[in-house]
Amino acid sequence: MKPSGTLVEILYVKAVTYTKKTEHTGAGMDQNREGKNKKDYSRLFRRFIFLTMVCSLFPLLLAGWAINIHYSEFARERILKTLQTRVEYHKKIIELFLKENKTRLDFIARTNSIEFLIKEGNLTHILNNINRDDWVLTDIGIIDENGDHAAYVGPYKLIDKNYSNAFWFKEVMEKEIYTSDMFMGFRKEPHFIMAVTKKENGRRWILRATVNTDSFRSLVENVRIGRTGDVYILNSKGIYQTSPGFSGEILTQASGFKGEIHDDLKFRFLEIVDRDVKIKKIVCETWLKDPRWLLVVRVGEKEFFEDIRHANRATLVSLHLSALIILIVTVFVTNHMVQVIKKRDSELEEMNTQLMQAGKLASIGELSAGVAHEINNPLAIIMTEHQLLLDAEKRTPITDPEFGEQFAGSLSQIGTQVRRCAHITKNLMKFARRTKSVIETININVFVREVIDLMEREAKSDGITFKSVLDDTIPPILTDPSQLQQVLLNIINNAIAAHENKGYGMITIATRLSNDKTGIVIIVEDTGNGIKDEDIEKVFDPFFTTKSPGQGTGLGLSICYSIVKQLGGNIHVESDVGKGTLFTLTFPLKPPENLLKHG
Amino acid sequence: MIGSKILLVDDEEIFCDNMAKLLQNRQYKVTAVYNGESAIRALEKENFDVVVLDLKMPGMNGITTLKEIKKLGLFTETLLLTGHGSVDAAIEAIRLGAYDFLTKPCEVDELVEKIEGAWRKKDEAWKKDLENKLKKVVESPSDVFKLFD
Ligand SMILES: Nc1ncnc2c1ncn2[C@@H]1O[C@H](COP(=O)(O)OP(=O)(O)OP(=O)(O)O)[C@@H](O)[C@H]1O
Ligand SMILES: [Mg+2]
Repeated sequence: MKPSGTLVEILYVKAVTYTKKTEHTGAGMDQNREGKNKKDYSRLFRRFIFLTMVCSLFPLLLAGWAINIHYSEFARERILKTLQTRVEYHKKIIELFLKENKTRLDFIARTNSIEFLIKEGNLTHILNNINRDDWVLTDIGIIDENGDHAAYVGPYKLIDKNYSNAFWFKEVMEKEIYTSDMFMGFRKEPHFIMAVTKKENGRRWILRATVNTDSFRSLVENVRIGRTGDVYILNSKGIYQTSPGFSGEILTQASGFKGEIHDDLKFRFLEIVDRDVKIKKIVCETWLKDPRWLLVVRVGEKEFFEDIRHANRATLVSLHLSALIILIVTVFVTNHMVQVIKKRDSELEEMNTQLMQAGKLASIGELSAGVAHEINNPLAIIMTEHQLLLDAEKRTPITDPEFGEQFAGSLSQIGTQVRRCAHITKNLMKFARRTKSVIETININVFVREVIDLMEREAKSDGITFKSVLDDTIPPILTDPSQLQQVLLNIINNAIAAHENKGYGMITIATRLSNDKTGIVIIVEDTGNGIKDEDIEKVFDPFFTTKSPGQGTGLGLSICYSIVKQLGGNIHVESDVGKGTLFTLTFPLKPPENLLKHG
Repeated sequence: MIGSKILLVDDEEIFCDNMAKLLQNRQYKVTAVYNGESAIRALEKENFDVVVLDLKMPGMNGITTLKEIKKLGLFTETLLLTGHGSVDAAIEAIRLGAYDFLTKPCEVDELVEKIEGAWRKKDEAWKKDLENKLKKVVESPSDVFKLFD
């Protein structure tokens, strides 16, 4: 997967530079390197997540919230608007009702003379006519200048009452047309009256009617707005004119009344505590024109805004849910990507170490071939001198036995050491690049058997047996047999040496086709002492050896490495301390082009 | 073969002299020269059974010297001394008719073994040649003088 997109690229470049930085910290900090790399990757991971949040989640949430708030505002306004319209409508109906009755009384008073009205039966007829459809007026009466009833039709016995002291009497006399607030009056029941005055023959009389409280109240109260709505009326002093539906009583003082008269429709928001439950209410107030009564509509906020709240909750839940999903997906994807980057980096690193190894070997090759060549000549001379001394000693034996012993000892030591040097230079010169490789088609199995034959005799004395597990179906390969032999001999020699203090053991050599079928695999497994974890990375390094001085040059495996690479193959080692070691060699069916050309 | 005549050719004079002494100690008749030209001159003057030739020399190197020796058409076998890096050159030398090669530094005993091998080969070739010549003399006695060419 190649990460694309600028952001990703930037991040990727970052990741690479992180790892590059750590690579430069040098060989001594290998342990640190791993820890640091891990930290870098988790930092990369965090950065990714952070950026995704900043670039997608944050705006999403922001926009979501903004839209949500905006929408709620809008919906609220709409709802309040509808409420307002309904309240206004209601107000109009009440006003119309009052006005209609007033007009009616006025009309009756204007069109009829007092003589006619007080005549037995006429007033009854008028009342019946008014109440024909709805029971609008409870009673009706004619009152003269002195406050005495001239005529009365209604359910109460009020004909002999004098109203000259009633609060409304003076008002009517002044205003000519008048609507009272609710009051108890003589009948001891809440009611309100309407009255008009008329002048006739220099005398004033009053037509007074009581509005049917029940029908007025039902007009006001029964127009329900919502499930929880209360509708009631207050007079200009804040006294309930209708029953407010909750704990208040008609004709009692409403608490918190301000009494400021205006022509608008006003909303208030109110929180009341009902049995320890807080309930929010929307209060909508508007003043009637005549009389100046305050129409109050109280609705439960919850009920009204329930839909918005629902919608809000739904959008918020889905918003946060999608944010969560994005987050989870991002975490997964990022994790996957970081893993991929990590894998790529480790592959890169692997390749780098291989290149470094190859580079090391190349420079060793050049240098060592030169040095070895120069040292070889003096070595050859020393060897001949040594031999000459041996010859001379044979011809003229030394008479002093002590000196003779010393001389013989030294000579033999010189011989050993010179041979050791020769061994080293010989190995070093194997690094010198061969100008010509002899490339032949060989059958690996036959080849392996030959190598085993060669080594078996030597190994037998150490109690080591060979076992071969050869796959006969593998195809022949093109390679340099003498180089390949060198590789196998070095590895097998190591395997034999690894059984040093065991006295017995087994070396298994297996062949098979590689998994991708483009090459063959040779496996050499031993039951020797194994390689320690801290050494396993170094075994291919030139001069790395655990053998005692003089026993090994530490060049065997690095020679193998350089040869295997030259032949286009791969070498890999695994080991279990105390149990054994396994070398896996892979060779392509055909060596690299450059080898074929030279060969 | 005791008394075989050996020509040692090596530019490393001390090595050459030492080797000569060692071979003399082993009853060979040894002549040591330090370059290819002297070797050719010596071969023109004298017969040698085996020539031990260093591969890497200034002036005429081992391979050119070997080619020159072959041109002389003598009954001489050539052994080459090489460094380890020059296996290819050694293989080429064998292709050109050298008897074998040895990598320096080498033990004197190894060299002696190879010299013996070379001598036997030379001896066989020589005997065969002589036989052929004798056969020819039998067929045409007038050729008898050619035997001593
Ligand atoms: N099969 C094995 N089992 C255990 N250790 C091994 C094995 N192969 C290699 N090693 C370890 O790797 C080291 C390096 O091996 P290498 O062949 O390069 O050098 P060497 O064997 O020590 O020297 P030389 O090859 O010159 O004799 C060895 O000294 C040994 O510690
Ligand atoms: Mg080894």
